[in-house]
Amino acid sequence: MKTSLREAAVVGIGRTSYVRKSGRTTTALAAEACRAALADCGLSAADVDGFTCFNTGGGSASPSAVAHAIGVEDLGWSLTVAGGGNIVTSTVMGAITAVTSGQAEVVVVYRVLGSETRYGKNLGVIDVEGEAQFSGPSGFLVPPQWFAMFAQRHQYEYGSTSEDLGAIAIQERLHASKNPHAVGKDIITLDDYMNSRWIAEPFRLFDCCYEVDGAVAMVITTSARAKDLPHPPIYALGAADSNRSGGSVVQYSDMTTMFSAGTAPKLWERTGLTAKDIDVACMYDCFTFTVMATFEDFGFCDKGEVGDYFREGRATYGGDVVVNPHGGLLSEGYIHGMNHHYEAVLQLRNDAGPRQVANAQTALVTSGAGPFGGALIYGTEATL
Amino acid sequence: MSATTDAQDVVAISLPPQPAPDPDTQGFWDATAQGELKMCHCTACGLWMMPPLERCRTCAALTTFDKVQGTGTIYTFIVQRQAAVSGYLDSLPYTVVIIELDEQAGLRLPGRLINIAPEDVHCGMRVEAMFEPLAGGEFTVPVFSPSRKPA
Repeated sequence: MKTSLREAAVVGIGRTSYVRKSGRTTTALAAEACRAALADCGLSAADVDGFTCFNTGGGSASPSAVAHAIGVEDLGWSLTVAGGGNIVTSTVMGAITAVTSGQAEVVVVYRVLGSETRYGKNLGVIDVEGEAQFSGPSGFLVPPQWFAMFAQRHQYEYGSTSEDLGAIAIQERLHASKNPHAVGKDIITLDDYMNSRWIAEPFRLFDCCYEVDGAVAMVITTSARAKDLPHPPIYALGAADSNRSGGSVVQYSDMTTMFSAGTAPKLWERTGLTAKDIDVACMYDCFTFTVMATFEDFGFCDKGEVGDYFREGRATYGGDVVVNPHGGLLSEGYIHGMNHHYEAVLQLRNDAGPRQVANAQTALVTSGAGPFGGALIYGTEATL
Repeated sequence: MSATTDAQDVVAISLPPQPAPDPDTQGFWDATAQGELKMCHCTACGLWMMPPLERCRTCAALTTFDKVQGTGTIYTFIVQRQAAVSGYLDSLPYTVVIIELDEQAGLRLPGRLINIAPEDVHCGMRVEAMFEPLAGGEFTVPVFSPSRKPA
């Protein structure tokens, strides 16, 4: 790892409940999560001098507004990053870099989603700009459609099946059944999966994440200060991003892969680790196929083997690596991947209760799907 | 894409999304209005680009819109069965394809596939472009149909 990364650590985590309709503003949700993250590490608004978040425009709450809402009087470092799941890694690494570079000493990074943001349908659009002007008029506009296109090509080239995608959905739901915070706790069988309604074939309902209202926040500060705080500090051992084809889904060259085909080699090179070294894998899972493609790209198994990998129990407790112990976006809830960071920190603190992964020391957290995204590896003090 | 609205709270508009052409894309829509498929093409090195750019991303020369044959191969496709996009709520299911045009490997264009049942569609199938008026009255969009010519 870069030695400078040792100079900052994640010290606090907080979140709201995840519900379908909160009836609350995004400012209220974000403020609750940020207060919870500060309380978790024994700090207060008076200690905070940096705030950052990402959003896709609208339906969020700005860093300055959220900082103000929890009582910060003079926010020093404030950065809003434009993007969705693809940009989570960059946003978290931006917060870490703000600390290691001395621009701020205590930074809160958060994501909030309210009822006004739902990506699965888009029924109010009139004009489509940019690349979407070539697809939207044909009724091709929303994420389930984009990634179903990827899944179809993978099935054509590698013979992966609906049952393979179902194995991912079933495993994640089983994990979520032990997570009181999850919105989707009822276990599902292969029959349940196969009988769930089509969305954008080859995707069924259970291939799609569970959109909710809620917020997640993390507090990052210097390692020196972390030593005085209540929880063991969790470190970023390295991170990498890839942005390909200008963010175009349609033009992305090999749709049996994702951004992770570029990210994985960079991340392994920067950390000196490999897939075999990962104890917990919080794989970004806006859709089941996102897990399939990125899991292959990160080298956990070969092309076309993900279904068997999951069916054989290699992606759960007692297997090779525990994938999304919280149930992921598919079953815990869609907080745009920030809940994956929360889970990774919880696991590495050994605080995950009934779903704790034994002796978890490293956690891979991926973010994004299709042409762009990133990944970060967290480690405990013992891994430095 | 701008932030979306909760499906439960919105009255879907009846029209499909309408293109918002810009100086880089206007030539594409001008051509479809004439029943022609033209793609962004470098005047110097000959690279085809989608989405269109003012200048070539490889050699920085000016681009123009040149006619393509409109023939190609299905790279991938979906069968949309859930109402998700305005203008298509009453026309389910429908098939959307991503076509690789014959002019250049990896040069792709999305569109609806017509004149074939969803269960008969497969990757690698040969198709050709046709044109349909877009509800709303201002634009003509390319659609694809199984090729009438042998491969």
